[in-house]
Amino acid sequence: MNSWPRMLACVLVLFASAGAVGSLLAKGSARSASNSAPDTGSQVTFNRDIAPIIFHSCSTCHHPGEAGPFSLLTYSDVKKHARQIAEVTQARTMPPWLPEPQELKFADDLRLPNSQIDLIERWVAQGAVEGDAADLPPQPKFSQGWRLGTPDLILKADKPFILPADGTDSYWNFIFRVPIEQTRWVKAIEIHPGDKRYVHHANILVDRGATSRKREAEPGSGFGGMEIRIESQVFDPDSHLLFWKPGTVPYVEPDGMALRLDKGTDLILNTHMQPSGKPEVIQPTIGIYFTSQPATKLPMLLQLENDIKLDIPAGQSDFLVTDKFTLPVDVNLLAIYPHAHYLGKDIQASATLPDGSTKELIHIPRWNLNWQAVYRYAEPVFLPKGTAVELRYVYDNSDDNPLNPNHPPVRVRAGNRSSDEMCHLWLQVLPINYDPAQGDPRMLLQEALARHNVEKNPADFEAHYNLAAMLQARNKMDDARREYEFALRLRPEDAAANNAMGSVLLAAGQPGEAVSYLSRALQTRPDYFDAHYNLGNALASQNDFAGASEQFQLALQVQPNDADAEANLGSALAEMGRFSQAKTHFERALQINPNHALAKENLQELQRATNK
Amino acid sequence: MCARVSVFRTNLFRVGAIFLVSLVASEFALGQHNAFDLDGKIIDPLQAASGKIVVLVFLRRDCPVSSRYAPIIRQISAQHERDASFWLVFPDKTETSQTIQQYLHEYSYRLPALRDPEHALVKLAQVQITPEVAVFNRSHQLIYDGRIDNWYVDLGRSRAAPSTHELDDAIQSAAAGNKPAVKQVRGVGCYISDLE
Repeated sequence: MNSWPRMLACVLVLFASAGAVGSLLAKGSARSASNSAPDTGSQVTFNRDIAPIIFHSCSTCHHPGEAGPFSLLTYSDVKKHARQIAEVTQARTMPPWLPEPQELKFADDLRLPNSQIDLIERWVAQGAVEGDAADLPPQPKFSQGWRLGTPDLILKADKPFILPADGTDSYWNFIFRVPIEQTRWVKAIEIHPGDKRYVHHANILVDRGATSRKREAEPGSGFGGMEIRIESQVFDPDSHLLFWKPGTVPYVEPDGMALRLDKGTDLILNTHMQPSGKPEVIQPTIGIYFTSQPATKLPMLLQLENDIKLDIPAGQSDFLVTDKFTLPVDVNLLAIYPHAHYLGKDIQASATLPDGSTKELIHIPRWNLNWQAVYRYAEPVFLPKGTAVELRYVYDNSDDNPLNPNHPPVRVRAGNRSSDEMCHLWLQVLPINYDPAQGDPRMLLQEALARHNVEKNPADFEAHYNLAAMLQARNKMDDARREYEFALRLRPEDAAANNAMGSVLLAAGQPGEAVSYLSRALQTRPDYFDAHYNLGNALASQNDFAGASEQFQLALQVQPNDADAEANLGSALAEMGRFSQAKTHFERALQINPNHALAKENLQELQRATNK
Repeated sequence: MCARVSVFRTNLFRVGAIFLVSLVASEFALGQHNAFDLDGKIIDPLQAASGKIVVLVFLRRDCPVSSRYAPIIRQISAQHERDASFWLVFPDKTETSQTIQQYLHEYSYRLPALRDPEHALVKLAQVQITPEVAVFNRSHQLIYDGRIDNWYVDLGRSRAAPSTHELDDAIQSAAAGNKPAVKQVRGVGCYISDLE
């Protein structure tokens, strides 16, 4: 009997080593801290060597109330996760930072130097020793609540989203209705996305036309969806990247770059959440910080994309999509935000300057949607007119991509669902060195981008529409009309395109033709204020004042406080000899806008006419 | 001596190892290293199994991967209720019965839980990570230890849905009186050795 334990002990060793081999195989290439080479260096201690790294690079998220699932503030905290920390830093899973090092530096770079990763590994291999208490640096202090101080306006989502205990990731959009009576300028928005442990990232979109409200089942309920589009009726390009991810330090816009908020503007918080194993109540809050300084610098978000080329055969592991756009004006590049879904593998963007030199703007060799982020450059990157900005995204639609949502793989194309793909790159640029007399340089950018998109994809409705809108804004009516015609061939019933075409024809003195387009716009969208208003004008141009007054009244049912519609309604009624009613509407227009010139003028005219 | 054993002897020893597991199991409750239920009583889950398959599920409250598995663990345990006794095992010695009770409540568990402060069950089950499981057949032989399925690729990346189901396969094999095709696949999560 005495010999049994020895033999069995020997077998246990064999078992253990078999297990260790299995462990390495199961984890692929990830290195285990305890399997590292024997330490030949000096003793590494927590207090002297490791605490400074942890306090600087980990504790920001790993403290109570933040996104980290456990705290990393003390020796005991860190010791309880020591081997795990060694493994995730080796794999560069933590701290979460996707871009490779490059010449153009990013602000708030979280990437650990190799020396620190090696130090952590040695510390764990040596037994995770605490060391001399005198060596321990002071624990970092984190303020609770609002990082930027008490906001001027705090908005809480009307209703929470209940994150299910299990299943796939959830995407939910919260609408914040901003209760302001006049235009205000915003220097910062601090996003508190709810329980930060379960929210992976959140993005604010500015909805100036309150169009997203239509997607709510009931007011305040929010709505689902990974990708949303905000419709804009006028040229007012998106300008700011309002983004939250774990560890985000709230960003204060530089002087002169405030974000405009008008009365009636909604802020949409697009939120990506991951189930925790139990139902979670997610109810975000945002804090808005106003400034009295209006924007004097007007940045713009340029979107490079090539979704039309996203048609990835099942099984293909290296599917390349590119897009190249040449800048029509000098810009400073301020920030970059790449976006793909679960098939994204290698994400690159570069700039080729007119002198032939190139700059790597970003390179993410191991894309991970869960850690997507906006990257702000430490210094603005000057890109002169004529610079070609190029994106190169590689997708892996094979079964070797463990994140592939389809098992077995299927053909994947562009779309808004997480199982679809995307090939998007946003650049926040600030036009510089332009002549203000030549107009808004953002219009040149928008027009160049729309032309680029039309060339890429002649069947791109939005590209034709946007190009037409830019041409219309620059008073190139014939060109605008041609592009609207292209757009309407692609979507004959589209309300916005029919309305725009009607407005071009009206401006060109062809009210008869305008009426048919405007009427079609209203067939598609009966509550379309602009189309009612334009149709009223078109009918008035044809001396159909009864028809015109009816359209202005319908417009006012949609937007009761529009001074122009009230003034025009007054004019139509006056033309019909209904002076008393006309007077009421002129006065109403002046109540809304005391400086309304047309209403003032017509009211005086009316008084002269009735005094005769 | 171990390095020089022949293949034949190795095979023999592996048979012997199963005896050892049984031996340890039978001595377990009497040994110096014990696991406790939430009333503080020493429990040997294998002895308490009364002929059922035993599944030990190792969890850490501070391990988000462990917690995300709660619905899956609940589902698999309900599915095999007739054949298998499930125990949730908490190897963190700083856990108390109260903190575990609270956790079970939050994650809607109705499974018995054990504290394993001295890692007696960890050693018996040969697990290294939370969440990992150990499946013992009706003869108390350890037939599988490791991950529940392949949902997690690594820390920070998980599949939309798992495509392999090692725990479920092992229970089904044990119920049919067989051994599973896979005996051990390490999990993704938090190291139990960090708790020592």
